Amino acid sequence: MSTIAVQQGTKWWSGGRSPFNANYGKVMMWYFLMSDAFTFGAFLISYGTIRFSVNHWVDPNHVFNSFPFAGHTNLPLAFVSLMTFILIASSVTMVLAVHEGHKMNRAGVEKYMLMTIIGGIAFLSCQAWEWTHMLTGQHPVLVDGVVEYWNTTVAHNPFGPEVAYTGTDPLFIGKEIATPGPIAFGSYFFEITGFHGFHVFSGVIINIVMYLKTKMKHFELRGHYEMIEKAGLYWHFVDLVWVFVFLCFYLI
Amino acid sequence: MSTTVILQESDVQVGYDTHQEHSHHESFITKYVFSQDHKMIGKQFLITGMIWAIIGGFFSVIFRLQLGYPESTFPWLEDLLGHWAKGGKLQPEFYYALVTMHGTILVFFVLTAGLSGTFANFLIPLQIGARDMASPLLNMLSYWFFFSASIVMMSSLFVQTGPASGGWTIYPPLSALGDASSGSKIGMDLWLASMAMFIVSQLLAGLNYISTILNLRTKGMSMTRMPLTIWALFFTAVLGVLSFPVLLSGAILLLFDRNLGTSFFLSDIVVNGKILPNEGGSAILFQHLFWFLGHPEVYIIILPAMGISSEVLSVNSRKPIFGYMAMVGSLFAIAILAFLVWAHHMFVTGLNPFLGAFFVLLTLLIAVPSAIKVFNWLTTLWRGNIRFTPAMLYAIGFVSMFISGGLTGIFLGNSSLDIHLHDTYFIIAHFHIVMGVAGFFGMYAGVYHWFPKMYGRFLNNTMGYIHFWVTLIGAYLIFWPMHYEGLAGMPRRYYDFSGWESFKMFAGLNQFISFISILVFAAQLLFVFNFVYSIFKGRKVTTQNPWKANTLEWTTPIRPGHGNWEGEIPEVYRGAYDYGKDGRDFIPQTEQIGENESHH
Amino acid sequence: MSAEFLTQEITFHPEHDETTKPIWRTFWILSLLTGIELTIGLIIYNIHKGDHPNTSLVLAFKGMVCILTLAKAYYIVAVFMHLGSELRNMIMTIVVPLGLFVWFIIAFLWDGNSWKNLRNEYNGMPPSQQLEKPAQKAPAAIEKGAKD
Repeated sequence: MSTIAVQQGTKWWSGGRSPFNANYGKVMMWYFLMSDAFTFGAFLISYGTIRFSVNHWVDPNHVFNSFPFAGHTNLPLAFVSLMTFILIASSVTMVLAVHEGHKMNRAGVEKYMLMTIIGGIAFLSCQAWEWTHMLTGQHPVLVDGVVEYWNTTVAHNPFGPEVAYTGTDPLFIGKEIATPGPIAFGSYFFEITGFHGFHVFSGVIINIVMYLKTKMKHFELRGHYEMIEKAGLYWHFVDLVWVFVFLCFYLI
Repeated sequence: MSTTVILQESDVQVGYDTHQEHSHHESFITKYVFSQDHKMIGKQFLITGMIWAIIGGFFSVIFRLQLGYPESTFPWLEDLLGHWAKGGKLQPEFYYALVTMHGTILVFFVLTAGLSGTFANFLIPLQIGARDMASPLLNMLSYWFFFSASIVMMSSLFVQTGPASGGWTIYPPLSALGDASSGSKIGMDLWLASMAMFIVSQLLAGLNYISTILNLRTKGMSMTRMPLTIWALFFTAVLGVLSFPVLLSGAILLLFDRNLGTSFFLSDIVVNGKILPNEGGSAILFQHLFWFLGHPEVYIIILPAMGISSEVLSVNSRKPIFGYMAMVGSLFAIAILAFLVWAHHMFVTGLNPFLGAFFVLLTLLIAVPSAIKVFNWLTTLWRGNIRFTPAMLYAIGFVSMFISGGLTGIFLGNSSLDIHLHDTYFIIAHFHIVMGVAGFFGMYAGVYHWFPKMYGRFLNNTMGYIHFWVTLIGAYLIFWPMHYEGLAGMPRRYYDFSGWESFKMFAGLNQFISFISILVFAAQLLFVFNFVYSIFKGRKVTTQNPWKANTLEWTTPIRPGHGNWEGEIPEVYRGAYDYGKDGRDFIPQTEQIGENESHH
Repeated sequence: MSAEFLTQEITFHPEHDETTKPIWRTFWILSLLTGIELTIGLIIYNIHKGDHPNTSLVLAFKGMVCILTLAKAYYIVAVFMHLGSELRNMIMTIVVPLGLFVWFIIAFLWDGNSWKNLRNEYNGMPPSQQLEKPAQKAPAAIEKGAKD
């Protein structure tokens, strides 16, 4: 009996079966992710609303332009590209793990789960570096006619509109200098990437548990790897959110 | 290969079917406390909700005393509340705290968790023909998250600076700045912590309800054969799952504003002549986020009441519900519109007026499905063979309340009228009738109707009738005059009206309202007494189907164990509303369609 | 055939792809789309570097990036999350509620834009009605303020 024939001949909604041909666990996971999409959606939409409500916004290329061990070289978008690539790659290894699970190949699942976990940890490390860089990096900023050096925190940042310097500091005479930037930039950046990072972190924890359970042959004995599939859904969702965070904070 | 096969079978059993075998050797803890039986969890929600209702109702009595008798002192209040009622007079700060807690408790803890938590848990598996919820464990966790939220909220009542006092909508800056008022301090943090747990509870519950209804219906229980209670609870769960996360986002941003110096909702604020450094945020943004939940939230309250009333009205009129598909369609329409109209709560906040116009249009559209529902309830009653049980009275009372409260909603949905009526007692009257009292009436209808299934006994009818008539007449006497006060401009959330020349004429009316509210509160205590009394001493249920109803829960034993049906789960062959068909009083859903049966 | 796991909910065992080809194809598509996005990002960067950035050109490029992001989201959900191979019933119950985002986004952003207009308008008010803006405090001052 071919799959398509079964699909067409079945009254999916008439009770006694799942209308989706899916176990309740998977259905629940999907709807949980949808609900989580509304959490992230609300964050990103709030961010957009505040951005629409101010005249000047920070140019991301001025903020995210450094790379580890590259000193002060101006490399806009480079580091975040690496982060995006890491997350996409770990998504691929995750889906390969699910694929091996369908084939009941325990060794394959283990291998790819391990790679996914490493990818997740790599992403978190990148984020830690980026946060540190923003929290410690000092930039000159003109406050009340005086040059100060500011880092970027949830409460202030030095990425406001640039003005011509009229003061007496010889370092800046005849140059443009930034003024304090919109507070909301740092607030939303740390809040949303933090919330996303928290999701990555919990995803890594879930993946480690799944890896150990695979190793202990729980799923092999159970006869299916559906738990890997559910963990995979969560992991891909984290990747999906990053796609939008990438868009909202780094690209536009 | 053979070992694998055996293990698979045991997996199937644990995952789905045979909870029944475990029910014989349950300890007290697993049966009554950490129970995974959906019926017990439903009762836990109900009883916790009732405790909260008593507390929240009592708060309203206290602040009504202040509003009705602003010049009097009540020495016993000082004994009860300590420094919050110095010299027997309620202090203004605590008045606001009481109003805030009254709203929070009644909206979230009673009419959300107590209403949909109770009936979704109790009815969904019974009425769709399932042994239990899809995930009994998550279901249990959902209750215990609600319980923890309750504990935290309760403890906020006892902190030195008092509970949150910024109104149940916790608008910033009052909720974002710790210095704004005494209730903005630790009480507000506890409020947010409690609400975070509450949201987790609602998500766990909602996901469970949705996947149970979709996946675990018994054979033959197609979506269009489900009782309207299940449809209503289904849409309620969808609303909760999609809207509570947005409140979670707002609450997290608010926590940041409170504790980490961000400016999400703060800008250009002056406190005591000192200008705060916060800049660029918007308090209106919080209102948008809050009401994106807040508006679906009021439908989370009213939809289960609608579903319960539909079921009770049909059973007790001995007639099929009029326009089943129209009822489902209007529930669906209301659920969709619930997400599109949130800013009609914000017409006077500085919302873009052009945007407001769209919200007016979408808001007034809600009148269409609401009217469909009302007409269908009335036509269900028309020429029915009505049994006036207490449950039926409450269902009819629900329809009455929904009409009178809904009509004022049409006034308020117009932004031009709302500018005048906003934040007056007209609003108070509107939402108390259409959401508060109507929600309670739906809940009471459900409790009176399904009490026999819950405890194997009936609630006392005489007490039920007294309870109903006092509550119905009392509720109208309390809230009807408030429309006039509101039209005259009397603002809500004021501690004392005696200082205003224009509101002096309402002093007598306010006293009257306060007096009636004490009476109505007493009637609710009578219900609580009836409830407890009937659990132990009520008339015993002797037949499986005391109301002669069609739905599946009445095919279970009188006191069903964990697993609900002793044998196989019955199969379903027809919709839930075949009453008075072909000369027969009722035809249960489990009966096969006869050969010569007519179509309704 | 792999071992079956059947509960009452499952009607038939879904067939899975034998090869990993679609996965890798999607990986390359995602990488390509990200590459295009980055290119556009750098173009926007260079437009901004000029003296008079063409705002409508920037807006057009930003719109393109948004569309590319949606395409990426589609591939992740449809292939990696296997939604594309689920039953149509399930696809609809996931996709249709996401439609709520349309009005969610429009209404919020529209209102945000309106706040900007209001602010810009009332910044021209007579000074007597305006509160003096606080000077942006230095980090140290803010920390001190927080402790107060």
